[in-house]
Amino acid sequence: MIPLTHFLIVGACLFAIGLYTVMARRNAILVLVGIELMINAAILNLVAFSRYDKTAYGGQAFALFAIVLAAAAVAVALAIILNAYKFYKSVNPEDIRNLKD
Amino acid sequence: MTIDNISYKLDHILSGLPALLPEVVLAVTFLASIGTGLFLDRRWRQGTLSITLGGIALAGIFSALQLAQPVANDLLFGMLDADGFGRYTRVLVAVVCLLFALFVHANPDFASHRKKTADFYSILLAMHIGLNLMGMATSWLMVFVSIEMVSIGSYLMVGYLAKEARQTEAAMKYVLFGSVCSAVMLYGLSFLYGFTGDLDFTSEPHARGLSATAPLLLATALLLVFTGIGFKLSFVPFHFWTPDVYQGAPTPVTAFLSTAPKIAGVALLARILYAWPVGSIAYQYLQTLILVSAIATMLLGNLAALRQTDVKRMMAYSSIGHTGFLMMAVLAYSAGEYAVLLFYLSVYSLMNMGVFMFAAFIESRTGAADVNEYRGLGPVMPITFVGFVLLMISLTGIPPTSGFVAKLLVFTAVFGNWQLTGNPGMIALLIVGALTTVISLFYYFKIPLNAFLRKPEEPMETKPLRSYIVLMATLITLSVLLLGIFPGWLMNLL
Repeated sequence: MIPLTHFLIVGACLFAIGLYTVMARRNAILVLVGIELMINAAILNLVAFSRYDKTAYGGQAFALFAIVLAAAAVAVALAIILNAYKFYKSVNPEDIRNLKD
Repeated sequence: MTIDNISYKLDHILSGLPALLPEVVLAVTFLASIGTGLFLDRRWRQGTLSITLGGIALAGIFSALQLAQPVANDLLFGMLDADGFGRYTRVLVAVVCLLFALFVHANPDFASHRKKTADFYSILLAMHIGLNLMGMATSWLMVFVSIEMVSIGSYLMVGYLAKEARQTEAAMKYVLFGSVCSAVMLYGLSFLYGFTGDLDFTSEPHARGLSATAPLLLATALLLVFTGIGFKLSFVPFHFWTPDVYQGAPTPVTAFLSTAPKIAGVALLARILYAWPVGSIAYQYLQTLILVSAIATMLLGNLAALRQTDVKRMMAYSSIGHTGFLMMAVLAYSAGEYAVLLFYLSVYSLMNMGVFMFAAFIESRTGAADVNEYRGLGPVMPITFVGFVLLMISLTGIPPTSGFVAKLLVFTAVFGNWQLTGNPGMIALLIVGALTTVISLFYYFKIPLNAFLRKPEEPMETKPLRSYIVLMATLITLSVLLLGIFPGWLMNLL
């Protein structure tokens, strides 16, 4: 059996890669990819922890909800990015900066 | 799992439904609104609007009726707790949603939109359900689901018109920042689940698990969870999206974003903070986090507002400042005494709705969105600007408006808490709160200064526009004034 620590380390690596992708901000689509990695890290954790929750399996139920909500959020985000592209002809967050102090 | 077990679970869910009647009404209205948007609106233009208004009003009435009934806990296997505070926030959210629906209907940008507004009302109904659940959630799963419901709805609302570049930009910044925050929150939640093995944050095993966790790990996990709530409430340091989104979004949407999610978010924050025993490490961490960011939020919001000239951007920073005040009220509120917090929330929501209604009306009549463009408009549109200025006075917190009463109640509660606990942080909160109230005078009073005392360089053109929005905003202003003179009318209800 694979010990819990291994899952947590993989999850932490996924989260760190996702966070880096988000922070680098090269491309709005890549930011979405980074977000997806971060969510998957959390889902992996939830399912791994759920192994030790013999009675309720709350973590697995949570993971299912998280997957569905992430899909919904990505669908909305892609539609919005498409709209922004129509005006700016770019999906680079650095180019899209009319609103600032 | 046996069949008995499943039928027992179904019975349990059904037995909880009477307490969730407002949400059931909203869900039915949501389905109906999709149908009317597709089929009825072609024959009767206001079909979806009427259905939406009816549904929200009915849900609000049911929520209000439930206030008198005994508290129903253990709803949906302890995922929700319809206690007094949660039920009051439901009523308040219903009022804000009702005002918002009328506001959208009166807005010329939405009226002339080619995609029509039927879908918009459907989104509003779904968000209303999410907001209600957020105010009552006691399980991390419900917290996450309701926050996401509200967030996804808000992204759609901000990007709905997509009429000009700035609106799409605001929506894009909002969706990216919001998704990152909710992903970070989810990661934190996964750890809290791992530490305790229980998703219900009010339960006893959860509190026991938290106190058995290494302090550093616990602090990290709480900070991650705090990110998600911070994004919804827009307090420092998770406020970056607020000015851009508030400025770029259509004005009715800005009004909604600055009120409804804050009501539910504050309710959620208070519920989490007071779910844990006062002495526990988790409680102390969370209290310190809230205290520090309340002070930072008040200072940053009010100082940054000083150099804004765009009215919506200024109001964005002003609402950040008010969030700091709300967090102060959360800290001062000790279990059961939520009247102060609710009073502040109600008054704040009314004031913000009113201000944005006036601002939208002025913008659609003259095209002025900047404080400097308001020059000399006061005498041209007297009723609008007198109401606007009264609301500004209330937002600052000067008597005889209800903004003053709300701030006074919060200060009194914080002072009482300091006498009780001797926590020096409370005194710091009081000092910063009083200081920022003075600072806020300088930016709120730019509006009467420009509107009444300065002369325009060239006379502004005003388009004639008849709209019931002025009437609504005037009524809101009147109620803000009346609640300032007779605060007992509302306080006795709470």
